[in-house]
Amino acid sequence: MWEAAVDGRTLHFHLTGINNQNFIMRDEETGSWWQQVSGEATFGPLKGRRLTPVPQDEISFALWKREQPNGRVLRPDPRAEAAHHYAPADWEAGIARLPVATRIGDKRLGLRELIVGITVNGRDKAYRMADVKQQTPIIDTVGGLPIAIVAASDGNSVRAFSRVVDGKPVDLFAKAESNDLLDSTTGSEWDFSGRAIRGPLAGRLLTRIPTLRDYWFDWRTYHPDTAIFRAGLPRS
Amino acid sequence: MSRRLLWFLLLIVATLALAVVLIPAWVIQPFRPQSPRGLEISYALKRIASVLTIAALLGCIAMMVKLWRGARWSRIVLVLLLIPPAISAWFARQNHFEWMFNPLPNAGYVRADAASFVNDSDLVMAVTRNGEAAAYPIRQLAYHHLVQDTVGRLPIVVTY
Repeated sequence: MWEAAVDGRTLHFHLTGINNQNFIMRDEETGSWWQQVSGEATFGPLKGRRLTPVPQDEISFALWKREQPNGRVLRPDPRAEAAHHYAPADWEAGIARLPVATRIGDKRLGLRELIVGITVNGRDKAYRMADVKQQTPIIDTVGGLPIAIVAASDGNSVRAFSRVVDGKPVDLFAKAESNDLLDSTTGSEWDFSGRAIRGPLAGRLLTRIPTLRDYWFDWRTYHPDTAIFRAGLPRS
Repeated sequence: MSRRLLWFLLLIVATLALAVVLIPAWVIQPFRPQSPRGLEISYALKRIASVLTIAALLGCIAMMVKLWRGARWSRIVLVLLLIPPAISAWFARQNHFEWMFNPLPNAGYVRADAASFVNDSDLVMAVTRNGEAAAYPIRQLAYHHLVQDTVGRLPIVVTY
């Protein structure tokens, strides 16, 4: 998700091509080509410019609706819906079987393994979705910043936070049978939006870190120096 | 210019006009790897394609007029030779990616509690800006791939 304005001018984008299974967008105003995954203009008058990322979430509808009851939802296109063009609810299983033509020569993970990728201070790191679900919250340090990767109980909604509060890292643990977290540093309780709901830090917010839910081959193609989280290592 | 040379030139121009649109379409096929050089060539060709293909079409018509006085079979060949540059000139004005991947030019929205078309467990891409919240169900994004919107006065492009 990107800001569509560059230098105060709103650009209107169209899909115009594909670069190694990632879309290329073309803007009507200048005709420049933009890589979808990086937001960078790769050809044209705006070559080298980057779109500003918009902090976004990829979470379950139930969770979103609970947090944003007054929000609005993209309506299906009636024609596409009537023609059954939208994917079925279990569409991810189908996507997992599509071929991968991109050559990455990095066999650390399966090409279509689902990962959550983050970039902190220029350092990229990928977390297997399977690890995130199993270990939530994953406590880690990326680019020098103490972070946490948190999965909600639906197993699909994932968020990342800086776990620095007042200049000090807090250590977070899952609270049984809820989406909430406990920090062992102050004993505060935090909900999935990153807000402290009980305890000495009540009302405080953890800073969100943008995440990208992606396939390994796609993340690796556009983040060639990415590290991978190794599950099961003891907390340091 | 001899008629023979003109025929040859006509053939070359008709072929080039086709190549200008076919090369980028070939290079940027989905499910095929792309190289930076291939993309560079594609971008350059697509940039000039609309002007070049019209010029080629007009050039071919001009040569056709010059070559018209001839045997009947040669007129049939002339008309046939006009088809590739005509197709190229038309194709250069199309976005065939929008035939394959279905844009959503007039996106509509409903309130969260009225969104009966989304299952609770479906993933949505969500954004909140200046107090305004919008959600884009992934199953719809996976079909349209690109939605342009303005949330909390911020123009955005949602991509998937």
